[in-house]
Amino acid sequence: MFKNLEMLPNFSNRLQSMMDLILTNILLIGQIPAPTFSEEKRVAFFMERLIELQIDECTTDGYRNPIGIVRGKSRDKPPIFVVAHMDTPFSKDIDHNFTVKQDTISGTGLMDNSLGAGVLLSLPEIFRLLEISFDSDIVLAGVIQSIGKGNLRGIRHLLKTWSAPIRGAICIESGELGRLNYYTDGMIRCEINCTCKPVASPNSKFSPNAIVVINEVINQIQKLRLPLKPRCKVIFGTIEGGVKHGDMALEARLGLEIRSDYDELAKDVYTDIQDIVSGIEHEYDIKLILKTISHVRAARLKYNHPLVKSAVAIMETLGIKPFKEPSTSELSIFLSRKIPALTLGVTYGKKYHQTISSMQIDPMFKGIAQIVGAIMAIDSGICDESPMD
Amino acid sequence: MTAGYAMNHPWIRTNTFNYHDFGDLAALVDIKHRKGLTISLCLPTLNEEKTIAKEIVIFKSELMSRYPLLDEIVVIDSGSTDKTLEVARSYGADVFKADDILPSLEKYKGKGENLWKALYITQGDIIIYLDADIKNIHHRFVYGLLGPLLITDQIKYTKAFYDRPIASDTGKMRPTGGGRVTELVIRPLFSLFFPELTQIMQPLSGEYAGYREIFEKIPFPIGYGIETSMILDIYNQWGLDVIAQVDLERRIHRNQDTRALGKMSFAILKTFINRISAQGLIDTKGKMFDEMIQYSIVKDHIEPDIANLQGYERPPMIEIPEYQEKRNIF
Repeated sequence: MFKNLEMLPNFSNRLQSMMDLILTNILLIGQIPAPTFSEEKRVAFFMERLIELQIDECTTDGYRNPIGIVRGKSRDKPPIFVVAHMDTPFSKDIDHNFTVKQDTISGTGLMDNSLGAGVLLSLPEIFRLLEISFDSDIVLAGVIQSIGKGNLRGIRHLLKTWSAPIRGAICIESGELGRLNYYTDGMIRCEINCTCKPVASPNSKFSPNAIVVINEVINQIQKLRLPLKPRCKVIFGTIEGGVKHGDMALEARLGLEIRSDYDELAKDVYTDIQDIVSGIEHEYDIKLILKTISHVRAARLKYNHPLVKSAVAIMETLGIKPFKEPSTSELSIFLSRKIPALTLGVTYGKKYHQTISSMQIDPMFKGIAQIVGAIMAIDSGICDESPMD
Repeated sequence: MTAGYAMNHPWIRTNTFNYHDFGDLAALVDIKHRKGLTISLCLPTLNEEKTIAKEIVIFKSELMSRYPLLDEIVVIDSGSTDKTLEVARSYGADVFKADDILPSLEKYKGKGENLWKALYITQGDIIIYLDADIKNIHHRFVYGLLGPLLITDQIKYTKAFYDRPIASDTGKMRPTGGGRVTELVIRPLFSLFFPELTQIMQPLSGEYAGYREIFEKIPFPIGYGIETSMILDIYNQWGLDVIAQVDLERRIHRNQDTRALGKMSFAILKTFINRISAQGLIDTKGKMFDEMIQYSIVKDHIEPDIANLQGYERPPMIEIPEYQEKRNIF
């Protein structure tokens, strides 16, 4: 397990002297809109900024994920990856400018994941200030096309094309401070699209209304009996349809996720939903299509894995109370490739997915110290002794 | 009479820059040191708690810690009732209430008053004035304006221009809509009397920088007329060639309603007319009023809304005895 815990509270204090630079990075990157599939400007800024901050190497991979490398002392040790996704769930025409107050910052996309990206960008300077060097190269990757329909494409591509071994990885998310993600649920993200013909077919049971059809789909999914163990749940996340209050909706769309800690169960539920969709399509004489957007397999580190144990110790040393929960982020791709990895949150926040999302400034320094501690732990060799499986 | 000669004037080609031209901040710092200059940034405020901290944080990080271009950041406040002063102080700016500066003088409220008093408070050879309500603030706003002042010996005053999208209350961005007073008031006036000045893209932009030796020798209207007077007075005393304009690409600002713009236009017109009158270009025969009269419909009748805009101007700072004493001017 990681031994040098005693230096971490001091890191947290020293990081406060870097507040201006860290906040500046968060503000400058966060002010650039980066909806999934349109992250180019944010990527360009990330690269320019890394160069400005005199990182050892800066490049993009074939998928345009921006990557900076802080060179390590050893040529033999595999690299450690630190990643944060660059995309946010907000369109370009939303005001992305942040408001800074005495203790908080607020604005669109801040908590998913502009804060994380800004902290990633600050790491080279943070390492310099804390006078830390590593044996491994530290690969700082701002991955694109991560959330929603992005389906983690950026990180998938990056790891697929990275042929050399990877020692371990830390995924940075804006919040919540204390999150300790070391396992991922199996997840199938899908969309159900309903299209009705403008004129009712003589054989149809009702006048066609896509919203009513989608409602029926929801009702039938809710009737499914899902076990408590293994865990499984269906999350209805998005819904849209129709044009005007007084017109029958001819199109509607439902977005949902099936999550389970047992992959086969998620697949079974998906099959059940497929049957529901087919049945309703036949019954209502409309077009109803179930489409898979993303599929992530369940994977985990054991709770007694040295990386998890070290992370818990790091958090406790810094006075952070860890809480565990599954994640469906970049973590799942690392774990599925047998690379020990964690997702950590930087600070406390509110209203994560609203345009007024906000973060607390002061706890951020502990959050960053925790990330630095976790990187140091991996560099000390804890994952070399206990690789996954 | 045609203004054709203005169109052929090379100023717009030789004295128009883009902030990209000055992205090498280390080089700017080097020139600053070589010339032995000090630089002050002044942020005039009135209830800017939402934007002031962001400006201070970014400028301190990028232009003080990383590249020591700025020697001081000074906030001069007109009497904010929100947390502007508290927030600005907590992020490390030097904060002053305008009323506390040169307290023996009569007190006025207005942006121009703050800028004028900044001349007394600040130390720099170059002073940069930025509005404190810029939502998309970036350090280019400062280094862009500084660039021409540092790399040339001739340019003494720089003025910003940019796209002006407007942030609406819903958080959505509208791409156009700014610059109405420029296009409806100032540009027609410049075209009528000083066609050369039409080459200045946004004469009313609130971001400009210049040498103290210029600013201290011109009067400052206390209110909205400050940008207009500054251009006219500098043009009149030193000519167009000491002025440059810099493209800062994009500035997001709060939209103002038409009535507020009406008052702004009144002050600008008054400043302008006073100056052309003093130059003998027109004769108002002393018949100008100080009240801007607008009308509102209240219930079922029309009521006048009268604003007294006297257009008081502070004299050149160099004429103020306290200033002379502070800066050892005899």
